[in-house]
Amino acid sequence: MTKLDAQDVILESPLHYFSKISSHPVSSNQLFNGDLEFGVVAKEIRLGCQLNLRGDASDEHFVTGAESVLGIALPTVPGTYQYNSDTAVYWLGPNEWLITSATDALELEALLRSKFEGHIAIIDVSGGQTLVNLRGHGVLTLLKKASVYDFYSWSDAVPGAGRCVQTTFAKATAIVANRTDGSFDIIIRRSFSDYIAQWLLDAGQEYGCRIESC
Amino acid sequence: MRQLNRLLAAGRTDQNKVLNFTFNGKDYQGVAGDTLASALLANGIDVVGRSFKYARPRGIFGHGPEEPNAIMQIGSGASTIPNLKATQVELYEGLEAASVNGWPSVNFDIMGLIGAFGRLMPPGFYYKTFMYPKKLWMTYEHFIRKAAGLGSSPVESDPDSYEKLNQHCDVLVVGAGPAGLVAAREAARTGARVIIADEQSEFGGSLLASTQLIDGLSATQWVADITKELGAFSNVQRLPRSTVFGYYDHNFLAILERRTDHLGISAPSGPRQCMHRVRAAQVVLATGAFERPLVFAHNDIPGVMLASSVSTYVNRYGVAPGNRLVLAVTNDNAYQTAIDWYHTGRTVVAVVDSRTAPNGVLVEQVRALGIQILEGHGLIEAVGSKRVRKALVAPINEAGSEVTGSVQSLVCDLIASSGGWSAAIHLSSHTGAKPVWDASVVSFRPGESKQQERSAGACKGTFGVLDGLIEGANAGAEAAKLAGFGEGQVQFPTPLIDQIIEQPQQALFLVPHSKTTSRAPSQFVDFQLDVSAAGIELAVLEGFESVEHVKRYTALGFGTDQGKLGNINGMAILAKALGQGIAETGTTIFRPSYTPTTFGAIAGRDINHLFDPERYTAMHRWHVDSGAEFENVGQWKRPWYFPQVNETMQQAVDREGLAVRNSVGILDATTLGKIDIQGPDAAEFITRMYTNSYLKLAPGKCRYGVMLKEDGMIFDDGVCACLSENHYLMFTTTGGAAGVLSWLELWQQTEWPELQVYFTSVTDHWATATVTGPNARKVIAKVCQDIDLASESFGFMDWREGTVSGVAARVFRISFTGELSYEVNVPAHYGRYIWEQLIEAGAEFNITPYGTETMHVLRAEKGFIIVGQDTDGSMTPADMNMDWVVGKNKAFSFIGKRSLERSDSVRENRKQLVGLKTLDPSAVLPEGAQVVNDPNQPIPMSMQGHVTSSYYSASLGHSIALAVIKGGLSRMGDTIHCPAADGSSIAAEIVSSVFYDPTGARQND
Repeated sequence: MTKLDAQDVILESPLHYFSKISSHPVSSNQLFNGDLEFGVVAKEIRLGCQLNLRGDASDEHFVTGAESVLGIALPTVPGTYQYNSDTAVYWLGPNEWLITSATDALELEALLRSKFEGHIAIIDVSGGQTLVNLRGHGVLTLLKKASVYDFYSWSDAVPGAGRCVQTTFAKATAIVANRTDGSFDIIIRRSFSDYIAQWLLDAGQEYGCRIESC
Repeated sequence: MRQLNRLLAAGRTDQNKVLNFTFNGKDYQGVAGDTLASALLANGIDVVGRSFKYARPRGIFGHGPEEPNAIMQIGSGASTIPNLKATQVELYEGLEAASVNGWPSVNFDIMGLIGAFGRLMPPGFYYKTFMYPKKLWMTYEHFIRKAAGLGSSPVESDPDSYEKLNQHCDVLVVGAGPAGLVAAREAARTGARVIIADEQSEFGGSLLASTQLIDGLSATQWVADITKELGAFSNVQRLPRSTVFGYYDHNFLAILERRTDHLGISAPSGPRQCMHRVRAAQVVLATGAFERPLVFAHNDIPGVMLASSVSTYVNRYGVAPGNRLVLAVTNDNAYQTAIDWYHTGRTVVAVVDSRTAPNGVLVEQVRALGIQILEGHGLIEAVGSKRVRKALVAPINEAGSEVTGSVQSLVCDLIASSGGWSAAIHLSSHTGAKPVWDASVVSFRPGESKQQERSAGACKGTFGVLDGLIEGANAGAEAAKLAGFGEGQVQFPTPLIDQIIEQPQQALFLVPHSKTTSRAPSQFVDFQLDVSAAGIELAVLEGFESVEHVKRYTALGFGTDQGKLGNINGMAILAKALGQGIAETGTTIFRPSYTPTTFGAIAGRDINHLFDPERYTAMHRWHVDSGAEFENVGQWKRPWYFPQVNETMQQAVDREGLAVRNSVGILDATTLGKIDIQGPDAAEFITRMYTNSYLKLAPGKCRYGVMLKEDGMIFDDGVCACLSENHYLMFTTTGGAAGVLSWLELWQQTEWPELQVYFTSVTDHWATATVTGPNARKVIAKVCQDIDLASESFGFMDWREGTVSGVAARVFRISFTGELSYEVNVPAHYGRYIWEQLIEAGAEFNITPYGTETMHVLRAEKGFIIVGQDTDGSMTPADMNMDWVVGKNKAFSFIGKRSLERSDSVRENRKQLVGLKTLDPSAVLPEGAQVVNDPNQPIPMSMQGHVTSSYYSASLGHSIALAVIKGGLSRMGDTIHCPAADGSSIAAEIVSSVFYDPTGARQND
């Protein structure tokens, strides 16, 4: 067998098999139908990478090092995330963050490691989870079906500083984050993504739910 | 119109909208706004069911959840619902209803004939009669159920869908009567998030049947206005048709919202019901009160009702359930029913008041209407069979304890009674608050609050509407303030309403009869379960003193009405029989659900394929396309085996196993747990977790380890690889992944926080394909050019980074089959691609995908254990003959080490892992089979151990088994026996647990 060119390599995102699948109260047709209005649109977003970062938030060197590479500060307030146009950093715990970035995982990890010393950890989790944006008028109610978290409590959130939470999502888990356009992002584990997609189609059916994979 | 009891004044119904329905197979008509009960009464239906024990004919008694008699089966087929109260079923076109009690018909049935046997069925009847012989219970039960009729559940699956919503609010108001409505309005004004829920079809509660004016408006207009006002608040969620059925810890309450039950038997679209799981900062309970009926002889004859129910049917539904009313009261309040009835134009025969010289405002109004008031009288007995014909009344003494004069008979067809009101303290009681008896209002009041809640209005024992409005407004403002909104001051003016001054009521529960209670005709307390006053007295005679015991002995309050009607009367009668007060007697505890709740709503959408998450690997669809059968491993779906056309499971497993042994196979090993471990103290930490040492494990190397709990027992095993200095990857079992990660975190965070190490799950990040078999190297060589695959440079238990089919991969030489193996790990996005590349590369060697069953057979041939199958939480490494994995000279201890030296851990004769080879090579021992030395030993036999794994091995040509046997390692060559339940027995020889390639030459290749 000859060596393969990179373009022959096939990627499948976690929601690959749900491309343009929908559920709708007025149509039993599970296939995408452009004429229907959807109250929930779940769009899987292709990212460069997702890295899990561990380190000591009280270590000045660590904090400034991260900011210099990412262009944004590590959020230290529980349940918040910081973002700019192509990077977001989610607070997961006192010494744990999730970075989503347009940059390639290896490249970003190397950049970060070059700024750090001492006890830190960087873990590439790009293959293990996916980010799905949920938009539409049915999303807030759908979140009430999914989670015991009170997302209404975010309505007083300061613009620019996002809110996020790791919580139960149906019978799986998700990181849920708000967006300034009123939509929500969920970051879900790959092995649960089929279940969550099926769940979204079911829970969103009364508003019409469409899934778009990346 | 055939509805002979329908009045011209329509109340809250719309008489222009006629609805057709059937009851027990016959056609009737009602109108929009009716409940099934009001429609039945409008049609003059007297008998709606039969009683549970005596099969006495019963009619509609109440108008809400307290109804004990009108228990209906609604609909038929898949959507049929048993045991609904007709008083709570909103009428819709085409409704089908049938009595659940009264087989074969309500008007004539077998039990009716034997109703006279009631004397033979005293309290405790079931305990006394049906306890022995035990084996006949099923027979008894079948008879009792059929005769009593408990409704029937649908046998098909429910066609409707149900929803669950998690709600959060600052103030939850339960009940939308006068107190609840103003409470919600006060809370809403502060900006607090408010949910107001009410079980009825529309808001208003008792005001829906009231004739009082509020703010100069009719009560119903006032309700409509304030309901609209609430709707204008964006921070208020109004939930009609929604029963708050449970109040749980931490101010968590559950609401059942019936969204479409009033439209038809099945939801036309969307969910039929929704369960709201509410977390409320503060709660206002405004759940109202239940009127207490008086207990008198034959008080269960159809035509006997609650006074407030008669008023409700008249005022709210425009239905007069009879012609000639006798009203029996102990209080002023119920005189309103005489006034309401008078205005229907039908006859009030008399008001029978137990008090002497009543002269309250309502009493005088009734007197002014020329209605006869029998003062100092009791209604001692109702006469009739399927409908009341007469009421027997007699003068009674002031204490209400005995009849003092001659009995007179009043001709009537309707008896309404009122013994006062009982606060609906149910939800307060759910919180653990102990109800307090208040003789001044003749009711329990809610006990000291255990949670962030307060009661207001009638449910607090405040029975006047004006007082309830004031209390409700204050409660709403207070709740909002405590939730962080407003100053706690009431903002809206108190609604204007006439305060009706009432004279004191009499605390009378059981009306005396000319005969003693035990001799008098049955005086029913709990209609649903036929508990009578005499039954309660008998329970006391038999030695029962605690209210909880009497409840269970007599079945008082055991019905689906949960004693809403009869409990207080029962307790009062019990108290009297015990010669003590109601306060000392106390009440039984109310528990959720307040009213019966459907299983559908509790399940919600967590059904069918959404019942439990199914976790898939990145290659899952390939397995599906290739016809795999799947096995559940935790929540994962793993390929079990890949049958070809017409192949049995055994044939498939034989073929797959031989392919691995003779050429090459491929397994999806993605599901194994994977934990990334980084930090300067990583090696030290890992060494403390496993029994062996990792301090000298070099980058590029892997090591197998076993984890113990503190008790020294094996709880997980797997391989740990050193990725680079201070960076490790730990593999766990598929099912143990989450538990192991928690275990690591627990020890790091609580015991050894000084160790610098971080753990992160990467289970989902990697997809893993295991290529195994003598041709594995040749397959890998075709897709990977940048790793030197030669054994001397990439040996067994090594790992290398490289490129597989253009994808950066980690390749591990780990083997669970005993063959040359390469575990190819790539980020999961590439999982299916890599899998297909490997399949393609292996085609010339007939690469064979295999599943977990073949994996189990192959590892058993090698004697590799599976934690949880060959171990059960009571096995040490030595028991598994794995002493070699225990590091004896580690500087720091490891978890479980000390327990390995406990006397029990080192005793002789512990069960030890061995192999079993059946004397008949084709006989496969059942897994779990008990091992004995002598199959003919009389029972009890001496058990020697049990079979943990057993398979037919195609590559060995005989069956193999692993077993744990007492002292097994020193019994090699012994023959043991595994007797089966059918009397047969399989003999086997104890052998080494390694059946195949004992030197490991093949995996080291």
